[in-house]
Amino acid sequence: MKVLVPVKRVIDYNVKVRVKSDGTGVETANVKMSMNPFDEIGIEAALRLKEAGSAEEVIAVSIGVAQCQETIRTALAMGADRGVLVETEEGAEPLAVAKILKAIIEKEGPEIVILGKQAIDDDSNQTGQMLSALLGWSQATFASNIELGDGTADITREVDGGLETIKVKLPVVVTTDLRLNEPRYASLPNIMKAKKKPIDKMSPADLGVDMTPRLKTLSVVEPSKREGGVKVESVEELVEKLRNEAKVI
Amino acid sequence: MTCEDEGNHYGFTLSDELIMIRNQVRRFMREEVKPIEDKLPHDATHCSPEDEARLRGVAEDMGLGRLNVPPEYGGQDNDCLIRCIVNEEASKCRLGGYRPALGAIRRGPPNVIWRGTDEQIHKYGIPCVEGDMTGYMAITEPTGGSDPRNNIQTRAVKKGDKWILNGRKMWITYAGDSDWGVLFARSKESENGRPPEITAFIIEPSFPGISFEKIPVIRPLYPYEIVLEDCEVPEENVLGEIGGGFGMAEHWLVAGRMPYAAGCIGMAQEALDMACGWVKQRDSQRGILADKQAIQWMIADSEVELQAARMLVYEAAAMSDRGENAKVHASVCKLFGTETAFRVVDRAIQMFGGMGVAQEMPLERWLRELRIKRIGEGPSEVHRMVIARNKLKNTDGGVYFG
Ligand SMILES: Cc1cc2nc3c(=O)[nH]c(=O)nc-3n(C[C@H](O)[C@H](O)[C@H](O)COP(=O)(O)OP(=O)(O)OC[C@H]3O[C@@H](n4cnc5c(N)ncnc54)[C@H](O)[C@@H]3O)c2cc1C
Ligand SMILES: Cc1cc2nc3c(=O)[nH]c(=O)nc-3n(C[C@H](O)[C@H](O)[C@H](O)COP(=O)(O)OP(=O)(O)OC[C@H]3O[C@@H](n4cnc5c(N)ncnc54)[C@H](O)[C@@H]3O)c2cc1C
Repeated sequence: MKVLVPVKRVIDYNVKVRVKSDGTGVETANVKMSMNPFDEIGIEAALRLKEAGSAEEVIAVSIGVAQCQETIRTALAMGADRGVLVETEEGAEPLAVAKILKAIIEKEGPEIVILGKQAIDDDSNQTGQMLSALLGWSQATFASNIELGDGTADITREVDGGLETIKVKLPVVVTTDLRLNEPRYASLPNIMKAKKKPIDKMSPADLGVDMTPRLKTLSVVEPSKREGGVKVESVEELVEKLRNEAKVI
Repeated sequence: MTCEDEGNHYGFTLSDELIMIRNQVRRFMREEVKPIEDKLPHDATHCSPEDEARLRGVAEDMGLGRLNVPPEYGGQDNDCLIRCIVNEEASKCRLGGYRPALGAIRRGPPNVIWRGTDEQIHKYGIPCVEGDMTGYMAITEPTGGSDPRNNIQTRAVKKGDKWILNGRKMWITYAGDSDWGVLFARSKESENGRPPEITAFIIEPSFPGISFEKIPVIRPLYPYEIVLEDCEVPEENVLGEIGGGFGMAEHWLVAGRMPYAAGCIGMAQEALDMACGWVKQRDSQRGILADKQAIQWMIADSEVELQAARMLVYEAAAMSDRGENAKVHASVCKLFGTETAFRVVDRAIQMFGGMGVAQEMPLERWLRELRIKRIGEGPSEVHRMVIARNKLKNTDGGVYFG
């Protein structure tokens, strides 16, 4: 069985994101980029399936600018077997990404696709759901545990009320939540070996996918600054402030 | 006119693999090391054995357990640049000067052990890589460390199947806490204008006639004095050729200089980055400190000097990895790296004002430790001497005076 894991190149989670001065987006020039942390969790989950003998091959796919190759290399250094890079302009939209993934999945024939529940740059939380709808596959989002059965999977989901376990038929689209696992470090020998693993390159046109944007960004603004907190002396003062300043009671 | 070939070595870029290794070490420092370090006292010299064992486990899984080990014993060839990249990041912690990543990444045995016999390698070398054994290097003596060939006064005399050692070693780091050390002694006096002969011996603390005494210094990790009074060393503990000690000491020193400088640069970079965060939020007369030109110039000078220092390290390390003689370049990067790092940390302290010298911050500890780095493994003046001699030897006056 093959497992396919899409990996997105995003601004590193330790970087303080800044809005461009013209308000068209966020600054990415000279900013450290890394694999979306939820996708690292996806790779880890796929590697564990392989190590448990449930999967034979782990394929990492990235869609975006040429430098996404570095993101794929990171996945290969963690242990993925090979990569696919679909080169596009910056800012591919979730629907276009889902369509590209569908085309690759039809070629590769994986039985499990593990995506991040969201990417930390645009927080869309859409691609996995759209992909499963396009493919007509089972869908298990926000996974915190994956147990494979015979042609099925028991997947624990993190939902508002707690945990929910669902049984789905394979093939399935899974999206990862933070607690699914702790991604491993890429080891020095594996980093060196990753150089030799193959990465297929293609374009959306090769896959027959139309990338025309359907969304328009009107403006991007910084979140308003948080005011510093104050210490109050007494319960009376607290109640007074909640009532008259915060106006919440 | 002769002029040393400058070589086509400018415009250095790191490979994607090295960048990935650096990212992995950064994550390791942030996620594993920092939380443990936060609980340690300011001048701690190590974390608890349990924490260290856990950190080592992770570092070993990352493949960082066998740096500076030859391929026959599980390491890889030509890893000087890798060691520099790793050491720069691993030194970005409070204990970074002398215990990068809190000891997670093994120091490994002194590299000269790999030039020993099979028995020596298996008895002393491998257990430093696979077990908890540690070793040290004892070169310096009370007579001085700058000119080891002549300063080494400890005498080794062969008696039967033993060597008898008499003399004293000074400032030897780890000596009293290690399982063995490589100690250099004079085995033959100078003759007919030929320099004295130096031989390397592997010594153990249990050998008769050896004792250790701590020497309190500016850094919390105190070095030792070693006293040898008719110390008996078995014949099989001669390391390398009799009379081959000087070359061996140099082999160890030169290989260590690039990672040594890289570690200093790591601490200084962290200090500068900390200071940048501070001056942007520190109110000062009509504005914030970051808006003052005096502050900006300190930041600019520090950034430029650190970039230059780092390039010199990469350059020397890459030369060494290519198998070229990097002795002079190693002196260049050791001199500039340690001097720059001290200056930058001093400026960072200045920008922090009183907070800079508070023990709440790692800065004052780094300054103390960096002070030693300008003396240890060759004082700056000795490196200047090496560089100047080489330059003078190879340069006769340029176009107008040649
Ligand atoms: C904390 C600490 C740990 C150490 N750990 C070790 C260790 O583990 N193993 C080991 O073998 N050694 C160790 N050393 C010793 C270290 O290598 C020596 O201190 C160093 O080599 C200088 O030798 P010295 O102290 O005897 O100074 P000297 O050789 O007496 O030199 C004193 C000063 O004179 C100047 N000078 C010397 N020669 C020249 C010259 N030719 N031209 C111009 N100026 C010159 C320099 O400014 C130098 O600092 C350690 C030292 C310290 C402080
Ligand atoms: C050990 C110690 C003992 C002390 N004892 C006393 C004491 O007994 N009584 C007492 O009242 N205080 C004492 N102090 C406080 C000392 O006077 C202050 O630390 C000093 O005035 C600097 O103030 P600061 O630390 O708040 O730094 P800041 O005012 O925050 O300044 C930080 C740095 O910013 C830079 N800077 C500041 N203003 C400017 C500017 N306009 N332009 C350019 N650069 C600027 C300087 O490099 C300065 O070092 C002590 C401090 C220490 C460390």
